[in-house]
Amino acid sequence: MCEFSGKLVAWLDRELPAEESAEVERHLGACAECRGSVDAYKRVSADFDAYCEDALATSARRKANPWIAVAAAAGAAAALAALFLVWPRQHIRPPLFPDSRQAVVATPSIAESAVLSSVRPAQAIHRRSVIRPVQHQVEHAAPTAPPVQNASFVPQEPVIQIAIPADEMFPPGAVPQGMHFIADVTISPDGSAERLRLRPRLAGFERSTVQP
Amino acid sequence: MNGDAANPALPLPRLSAGASEATHLYRELRKPLLRYLVCLGLSRDEAQDVVQDAFLLLHRHLTAGGSQENIRGWLFRVAHNQARNRQNRYDRNFAAPSGAELDEISHDATPERAVLEKEKFQQLGKAMRLLTQPERECLLLRAAGLRYREIGEVLGIATSTVSDTVERAVKKLAEKCHV
Repeated sequence: MCEFSGKLVAWLDRELPAEESAEVERHLGACAECRGSVDAYKRVSADFDAYCEDALATSARRKANPWIAVAAAAGAAAALAALFLVWPRQHIRPPLFPDSRQAVVATPSIAESAVLSSVRPAQAIHRRSVIRPVQHQVEHAAPTAPPVQNASFVPQEPVIQIAIPADEMFPPGAVPQGMHFIADVTISPDGSAERLRLRPRLAGFERSTVQP
Repeated sequence: MNGDAANPALPLPRLSAGASEATHLYRELRKPLLRYLVCLGLSRDEAQDVVQDAFLLLHRHLTAGGSQENIRGWLFRVAHNQARNRQNRYDRNFAAPSGAELDEISHDATPERAVLEKEKFQQLGKAMRLLTQPERECLLLRAAGLRYREIGEVLGIATSTVSDTVERAVKKLAEKCHV
């Protein structure tokens, strides 16, 4: 190994005393290996400078885009909702009606009163509202509730609403505090997913379904 | 806390003496200090806090009649110690930024150049993690433009030790990155 090899970086940084610096310069004129080393040190120093600059710029960009984490959370929530679309179809059984051709009415007041009596334990899903035969519901329905007179009724509002507490899924700080994502899922009469909409909201965990 | 895009106003009360010098120092050294701290492994917010604390201490130092010799080395030493205290408090280790931190390459680069730069930076990141802590710190302070004597003052080591450490670190980087 060349005797000057331990002074090349210091020479490059102009840290050598004048006499030593002159010696190194004379040596470089005659030693191709050391010239090559000096070139390599120059390049790696420039690359390292660019690396540091990029690290600083990256930290600034990350700070300027805090919603990246929120977008990632929304994406994950969408994936979860998509999973939900597939899963419950195998478990939800519509209530047995005496006559499936009978008209159906579903209102919030009915939903509140009927929930406990009509869900079977085997149906591993939480229902807040269920469909009852008209004859039974007339006793409970609010007088102002507009009846729907068709078994192929397709509701205008989303029939399934999933409120996902973001803090349950993501590490603390990934999502602004209190931010939840609600996936509104509309199921078409053939049972397939017709519409999926995600929206950020403050809400507790809630899931409900109304189905003809 | 001010963002980077904002005009970097001096986070110090007005000084009756040496105010213009302090302002000049802040404008000149804020970015190198931030870069050093971020590359040490601090988050952007932590680095900005440390820089502000360092300039606040500089203000106290100057108003108390402290030495004005080698203020640049003084500021880096204060920032370095503050960073180390913070990292000790949170029980973390000094480390080079991870490869994930460097995923985003300059927007101006062409796709080919961006890929090359990304590969180069990933190689440098890996090589940095193989260096010892003093080697990393010496390299980062050298990249911030400090002389060997100043680096020695910041790290509390002899100038000759800095020279040897920098020499060794640069050679390691060149070897690992096949430059």
